Amino acid sequence: MNHTLRRLALKGAVACALISSFAGFALAQENVLRVSAIPDEVPTELQRKFAPLGKYLEKETGMKVSFVPVSDYAAVVESLAIRKLDLVWLGGFTFVQARIRSNGTAIPIVQREEDAHFTSKFVTADPNIKSYADLKGKTFAFGSPSSTSGHLMPRFFLQQAGIRPDKDFRNIAFSGAHDATVAFVAAGKADAGVLNASVWDKLVEAKKVDPAKVRVFATTPPYFDYNWTVRGDLDPALVKKLTEAFLKLDPKNPEHAEIMQLQRASKFIPTKKENYDGIEKAAQSAGLLK
Amino acid sequence: MAEAVALHDPAARQRGTALLLGLAVLWPLLVVADFRPGEIFEIRNLKTVGAFLAGFLPPETGAEFLAYLVRATLETLAIATAGMALAFLLALPLVSLSTRALAAAEIGPGPGYARAQFLHYGLRALLTVLRGIPELVWALLFVRVFGLGPAAGVLALALGYGGMLTKVYSEILESGDTRPARAILEAGGGRLQALFYGLLPGAARELTSYTVYRWECAVRASVVMGFVGAGGLGQLMDQAMKMLNGGEASTILLTFLLLVLAADALSHFLRQQVGAAGTVGRKAGFGVSACAIAGLVLLAVVSSFGALDIHFGALLMRESMGLIGDFAVSFFPPDLSLPWLSRVAYGTLETLAISATGTLLAVLGGFVLAFPASGRYGRLAGQFSRFLLNALRSIPELVWATLTVLSVGLGPFAGVLALALHTTGVLGRLFAETLQNAPPAARDALVDAGARPVVAFLYGTLPEVMPQLLAYTLYRWEMNIRMAAILGFVGAGGLGQLLYFELSLFRYAEACTVIAAMLLLSIVVDAASSEVRRRLR
Repeated sequence: MNHTLRRLALKGAVACALISSFAGFALAQENVLRVSAIPDEVPTELQRKFAPLGKYLEKETGMKVSFVPVSDYAAVVESLAIRKLDLVWLGGFTFVQARIRSNGTAIPIVQREEDAHFTSKFVTADPNIKSYADLKGKTFAFGSPSSTSGHLMPRFFLQQAGIRPDKDFRNIAFSGAHDATVAFVAAGKADAGVLNASVWDKLVEAKKVDPAKVRVFATTPPYFDYNWTVRGDLDPALVKKLTEAFLKLDPKNPEHAEIMQLQRASKFIPTKKENYDGIEKAAQSAGLLK
Repeated sequence: MAEAVALHDPAARQRGTALLLGLAVLWPLLVVADFRPGEIFEIRNLKTVGAFLAGFLPPETGAEFLAYLVRATLETLAIATAGMALAFLLALPLVSLSTRALAAAEIGPGPGYARAQFLHYGLRALLTVLRGIPELVWALLFVRVFGLGPAAGVLALALGYGGMLTKVYSEILESGDTRPARAILEAGGGRLQALFYGLLPGAARELTSYTVYRWECAVRASVVMGFVGAGGLGQLMDQAMKMLNGGEASTILLTFLLLVLAADALSHFLRQQVGAAGTVGRKAGFGVSACAIAGLVLLAVVSSFGALDIHFGALLMRESMGLIGDFAVSFFPPDLSLPWLSRVAYGTLETLAISATGTLLAVLGGFVLAFPASGRYGRLAGQFSRFLLNALRSIPELVWATLTVLSVGLGPFAGVLALALHTTGVLGRLFAETLQNAPPAARDALVDAGARPVVAFLYGTLPEVMPQLLAYTLYRWEMNIRMAAILGFVGAGGLGQLLYFELSLFRYAEACTVIAAMLLLSIVVDAASSEVRRRLR
């Protein structure tokens, strides 16, 4: 009896829920700007960092802005491609993936000035490792497989230097995030690793890493990295508003200064698809894109 | 001469052979699983883990973080409840269509026999696929099509658990008395009539009890789904661990522990209520408490769907159906090139090795802890070991893996340890129950005859409990093979690592091969394990 009752109850509940969600759908949707970012830092941290920017964008666009926290790089790309997200913070490689997954429609609007000449740092705690060539036969840690500065570009530059990671390293590990790579190297879990120069600087500044123990032994040439991208079929007037809102940000304005500091940006500059052609070529030659 | 015979251990040869055979099979698996126990105790590694664990104190209690935590906890509960409700709705028609207790194919040839048989086997195949693919993989795929957030978790639970519920419901219905249903069918009654009036009255209690137990599992599962971006506590945990933020990690772990223990207690209470209903001295049926519980369940389900704000309407629109179609098509045909197949084959072997080694370690650990937990060494030791087992069990394998990866480095051995830790908790509890319930006659007789306690245990208790212990171990191994397949998501080797890498790079054809391998592995292990269990009976 109990069971029958329970089943009836369940049926009723789901019916109610279905109806209400259908109804809800008609009302929701419009007038919400859905924003997300690739998870190269803690989502709580990303959410915290985004809060003032979100408020600013709400004021500038007159729309409600909601931030969707994520833990998978690729999920951000796919969500943009299937139009579940409107505005996203992408890395160079994830932007190239998004451009391909969205049939070329995703539009990069702005980037930080420093993203135009981004670098990666190779770090180690092993005194015998002084150059790329010394990495042969060692264990090596990349960040996330989808990371530009933690995987793609370092892999590309290693190959340029004649090192084939899949063959020459004893073992390749994906730590998942830049901070984690440093932790692995510091703990000796990997003989060497590579990460985003900006995160390295942040860790050194915050004294989260002991430079006497973990040291940089190589730096990559510069390349284009992160940008803010919108989905291709977003209202052009809104895209224009968003772009202008970013470009208007001025570190001298105290209200803007907080936003800029949290975004670790000195200035936002316009960007274009062509900036990322180099990354696409690198991804192809590194075998990460077909 | 007679004395020599008496001194000879009658079980020695059999046990010795089994042990040697076991070691011979185990050795290559240990090598593949990269089994290096020394690694755990290396000073450098102990220091790393020590430093990280030291960071656990004090737990993070910032108001902002706690607000995230409360929201994530509610979201986890809501995902579990909503997913379970959908799984239940999915299982109902599938059970009534697929159970052998209602199968026309079992009655014999008649009109529509061929069609019925075709439908029956087709459904069974579908169920195998639903169950064989771990719910975390479903979640990973759904996150791609439905976007980030709880919808993916709910649907993954609905599919995976729908398949699981259907299988177990069918087994429950088939193991009960099927004659009333048969009689109704043979008299020309319909399938639904046979189900409602022939089968349900006898099986309702067991079905409800299992459903509640499964909800408890769903809570744990939905915690884990967060690791692939499906919201809830897991998402917070994944990031806290990745960023080595000990304070946040410890607060989240404590929340896990409380949540799982509370779900455990609630599920225990509900099952007791169900068990009590209908026993002598209590009226079966619509008591006040039955109505109250049903009302609360209804409320829980409705508010879960309300809280999650999932737009099923949007999911079912033609546009998103098209997207789902495109997404599914991009997985076919799977990549069957020889180099890729050989990599997948090695991944499969690695997964097999991780699950087998992890389960065996857990058998050892569980066995050792089961003695004090069954109350043999006094109350204090009993309580302490039971608490330890509960703590081990409450923390999902995937969370353990984020810790073990830190201790022994990325790779299969971290997966082995993670599986072993969680499974020790599960098996230890089951073993302790078994030991408690073991009939004491044989042991007491041996003790009375002057045997030492160890001997009395080995020859009095062990033979009595062995089949049950083996059955639990095999059953757990079946579950661990699925778990081992996904531990790679956090860098613990095996098929999961391959799948995660390929999905990250959007190479769906390659990913499809990996998923097929997972499915195959779980089907083979299921079949092997159920065959062994059948022989044990």
